[in-house]
Formats: sequence, C-alpha cells, structure tokens
Amino acid sequence: MRSLVTARGVLEGHPSPDGALVLSLTGALDASSTGQAWRNALHLIDVHQPRQLIVDASQLTYCDGAGAALLLELQRHQQSRRLTYEIQSLDPAYQALLELYGRWEAQRPEPLAPAESPIEQIGRATAAIWNDVVVLIAFVGQLSLALARAVRQPGLVRWRDAFVTAELAGVNAVPIISLLGFLLGLIMAFQSAIPMRQFGADIYVANLIGLSMLRELGPLLTAIILAGRSGSAFAAELGTMKVSEEIDALTTMGLEPVGFLVVPRVIAAVAMTPLLSVFAGLLGLIGGAVVMLSLGFPLVTYIIQVKSAVTVGDLLGGLGKSFVFGIVVAAIGCLRGLQTKSGAGAVGESTTRAVVSGLVLITIVDGIFAVIFYYLGI
Amino acid sequence: MIHRSLSRETPIIAVRNFTAGYDGHVLLRDLSFDIYPGEVFVILGGSGSGKSTLLKHMIGLYRPVAGSILIEGRDIVTAQGQQRLEILARIGVMYQQGALFGSMTLLENVRLPLEEFTDLPDDAIDRVALMKLQLVGLGQAAYKLPDEISGGMRKRAAIARAMALDPPILFLDEPSAGLDPITSAELDQLIMSLSKHLKITFVVVTHELPSIETIADRVIMLDKRTQRIIAEGLPQELRDHSDNPWVRQFFNRQVEAAG
Repeated sequence: MRSLVTARGVLEGHPSPDGALVLSLTGALDASSTGQAWRNALHLIDVHQPRQLIVDASQLTYCDGAGAALLLELQRHQQSRRLTYEIQSLDPAYQALLELYGRWEAQRPEPLAPAESPIEQIGRATAAIWNDVVVLIAFVGQLSLALARAVRQPGLVRWRDAFVTAELAGVNAVPIISLLGFLLGLIMAFQSAIPMRQFGADIYVANLIGLSMLRELGPLLTAIILAGRSGSAFAAELGTMKVSEEIDALTTMGLEPVGFLVVPRVIAAVAMTPLLSVFAGLLGLIGGAVVMLSLGFPLVTYIIQVKSAVTVGDLLGGLGKSFVFGIVVAAIGCLRGLQTKSGAGAVGESTTRAVVSGLVLITIVDGIFAVIFYYLGI
Repeated sequence: MIHRSLSRETPIIAVRNFTAGYDGHVLLRDLSFDIYPGEVFVILGGSGSGKSTLLKHMIGLYRPVAGSILIEGRDIVTAQGQQRLEILARIGVMYQQGALFGSMTLLENVRLPLEEFTDLPDDAIDRVALMKLQLVGLGQAAYKLPDEISGGMRKRAAIARAMALDPPILFLDEPSAGLDPITSAELDQLIMSLSKHLKITFVVVTHELPSIETIADRVIMLDKRTQRIIAEGLPQELRDHSDNPWVRQFFNRQVEAAG
C-alpha cells in the first residue's frame, strides 16, 4: 500500500460479561485508516461472538465512504445472524452518509457468468480458428480483386503512400537486414568450417553459405524481419485508424479500405522484400568470405566456389519466395489491423497477432515452396 | 445551490497569478481566482480559450509558466514526492471520455485506487467500490466492461472511480460532451446530488449552457483573445447584466459571438 494520509482512526473493543461488545471509534475513519479498524472489528466479533454489538461513535471526528462501509458491514453482519446492533452518538452528518450508502444495501449486482468448461473453451477456440480461416480466405479474395483493379487502373493506386511505405519498410530496414545477414553468414561459416575442416572439406563452406543464404535463409531472414518490423507497424497503424473510426470514415466516403490502405502497403512490401532479400544474401556471402579468408583461402577461390555451387535458378527461387513472403507479411499485417476491436489493448493485440500470424504463414509458405521446388527439380 | 460568491471563508483552491503556455506561446495570462468548499465552480469559455489547459494545470498534469495553484493551502505546482501524492489524494478527476481502463470491469476500475492507496481488506474494497458505483446508479453494471456500456454510463463510472478515495474536490472535464440532453441532465442531477449529500467541491469545465444554468454556483469565463478571465459570477447575472457584450452573446447563443 502507498501511504497517503496520516490521520488514523482507532477502533477498540470492550466486551462485557452479558454478551455485549462495545466498539469505540476514535479519530478519523477514512479510506486510509479504515483498513486496520475493519480487521480489528471483524477479529473482535469473531473472538467474542457478541449477541449485542454497540458501536460508540462519540469520539469519531470524520467518516467517509470507507468508514460508512465498515459501519454498514457491522450492521449487516449482526442482522444476518439475527443479533442486535446499535450505533450510539453518531454525528447526524455521518448518519445521513450511512443512509445514503445504505439505500442500496439489499441490492447486489448480477454475478459474472460462470467460467466456461474446458470443452466449451476448446469448442470456442476451434470455432474462432475456423472463423479466422474464413475471414482470411475472404480477405485474400478482396485483396486479389483490389490488386487486379490496381493493375488495370494504376492511376487509382495511392502511389505516394506506396513510396512512403517502401521507404519505411524497405530502405529503413537495410541496416538491420545487412547486420543480421552478415552475422548469419559469418556465424554459419565459422560453425560449419570447424567440423568440415576435419574432413578437409572446408572449401565446401562456400557452397553451404552460397546455397543457404541465397535460396533459403536470405529470404527467410528478410521475411521474419519484415514481419516483426513492418507487419506489426501496419497492424498498429491500421488498428489505430480502426479504433479512431478513420476506417469507418473511409468506408462511408465510398473508399474501399482494402484498395485504399492495403494495396499500397502490399505493393511496397512486394517491391522491397526481394531487394532486401538480395541484400541479406549478399551480406551473408560477405560474412562467409571473412571466415574463408581467415581460414587461408583466397577471395577468388571463394567466389569461384560459390559460383559453381549456386545456379541462377537458386537465386530466382529465393527471389520468388521473397516476393510471396512480402505479400503474405504485408497482407496479414493489414488484415489484423483492420480486425482490431475497440479499447486500448486492442491495438497491442492486433500487433501481436500480426507478427504471430506472419511467422506462421511464412513457415507454411516456405514449406509449400520446398515441395514445389522438389518436384520442379529446382 | 450554495451561493458563496461573497463568502469570506478560506478557499479550498486558490489560483494565483497563473500563466500557462508552451514554447514561448502564452495561452492563459495572469489568472487569479478562488474556489470555495462545497461550491460547483464552472470554467467557461469558447473553443480554444484554454479551459481544459487550465484544468490540466490545476490537477498537476502540466507545470505553469508562472504562478501557483494552492489546493487546501498546498501548492500542487511545487509539491514533490509524498507531498504531491497527498495533494492528489484530495482530488478526483473525470476525464472527457471517462478514461476508464478498458480491460477492467467497472468494479475493478473503482477498486484500483482503493487497492493501491488503502490497506482495506479485499472484501471491504469490493464493498466500498460497489457502494460508489451504486451511488452513481451503476450497481447492476459492476461487472460490465467499459465497452459494454453507454457513453453516459462511462462518465458516471468515471465519477465513481474519481470518488473512490472520497476526495473533497472533483474535477470534471466536459461532463456533458457527446451526451444526449436527457443523459446530460441526469449527469447534472448526479453532480447536484453529490454536491448536496457529500459536500464535494466541483470544478467543471464545460460550455453546455443548460448544464451551466443547472449546476453552477459560480462561473469564470476565459477569453481566447485576451487570454484572461473576462467574467466571474453567477451565470444568470452574467447572462443578463454583464457589461461585456461577448459574454452576453455567449449566454444568449448569438452567432456573432463566434467572431
């Protein structure tokens, strides 16, 4: 408890042999001092079980809502057990306060609905997942239509928003993507070089870095950073717009929120993700090169080895994945933003859902690509 | 209503030579006025006249450029630490949109100050919080979330939360804003009832004329152009007898007043 007010009300009990208990109140009975008096009173009543309870309020100098609550509680306690209760010498002003608060004594609010059983919870969660899938499918349809319209009538796209978003989500992400790409390449090369060296295979570290960074990890790393950095930002931005009724305003103006807000963001993300992915791959290769140079291989050997291991198909495969990751992350971020409910916590919830859904979808899409590439022999 | 304009008793709030602004831009200049215990004091003014700014200074959210704001004799401007907490315990604030915590039920909203600032046992806190909600007519809605109730109910719940620790002073920022006339009148009745029964001092920022005429014991009127108080007194007196044409226009809702 944070201490606020120094005035203390004191409650003392004086039991008598005939089964009566006199509680004398002295000083101020306010919100900060009633707690102790409340505990004392209930303890004394518990110990003495009085047939008659008398509250002597002649020394009571102040009583507020908390004090009134105590006096009403004592009264309720005795009356519910059909025992006697009496209050003596209470200032008329405090008597009026008791009457004011006592007016609703008999009324109790409707209790909360009982908690759901686990089966109900599982059912509700399953229904929620199913609803989410339905909403997602509907949103994919809406977005596809809006994108198709954007292709047919590019003049309708808000290019200014798209460029601003491209700068925020793309250009501004270059430092973090570069740093993480470089470190990923460096660490992977270093960790793999040690065991591979035992077999004299350390030159193949170049193959490992080249293939994994350009085909798999570069796009994946970029998509994860995009989900955490921009997907969440889209959700927060659109969520705040939803809470402040800006989305409703757009709708009543006859502007489709998906076309107006989501399409520019998706275009920006689709344009930027492959570029960032190339950056991540390139910096990963540089990280690998640093390790290879430290192992004594000349740079030209490393480059030739990477070129021999990585085909244009690998590079294009990686770029294709990035393209899809960009759509997925931007779209899910915007969808979660548009789904925001009201209240202060809603935007935070949407942001979290945007990141989690983004990561789940990235993983699923990556798996689908792995299968497709396998059958296509890429 | 308690008309105390001529009272000689000690003011519960005293604002002295108060100047407010930011970045070298002055919004309110050299204001001085007193508020007496038990009165309903209304701060009036057109849009942008600095009513809410004044209120936010009086509750200690902002620091003024100059001057002092004495609440029960203690300056909220210079108070620090425990002293500041003690002053804040003597005031309650209802914000324009209610500012109830959306993730908590109404009962939990009212419980919060009691949990943090008193050592009442848990069931006592429940009882006190419920009493406050019943006082504003929301006993049956205690377990509802702020989202599930109407705007007028949210404001009443905010008043219940502001009263949780029984402060002698309540600040209300635009209590009637966004409410229909009937709900607004109900809120006015609640203010009158709390003022009468609990002797709470109300400081109300508003520009709703019907509300002012119902609740106000005394008003001050702020002027955007001069950044000062241009009128002080009873609302009826200002409406009928003010020597300032702008004040008369304001009270008589004449269009030229906007200029």
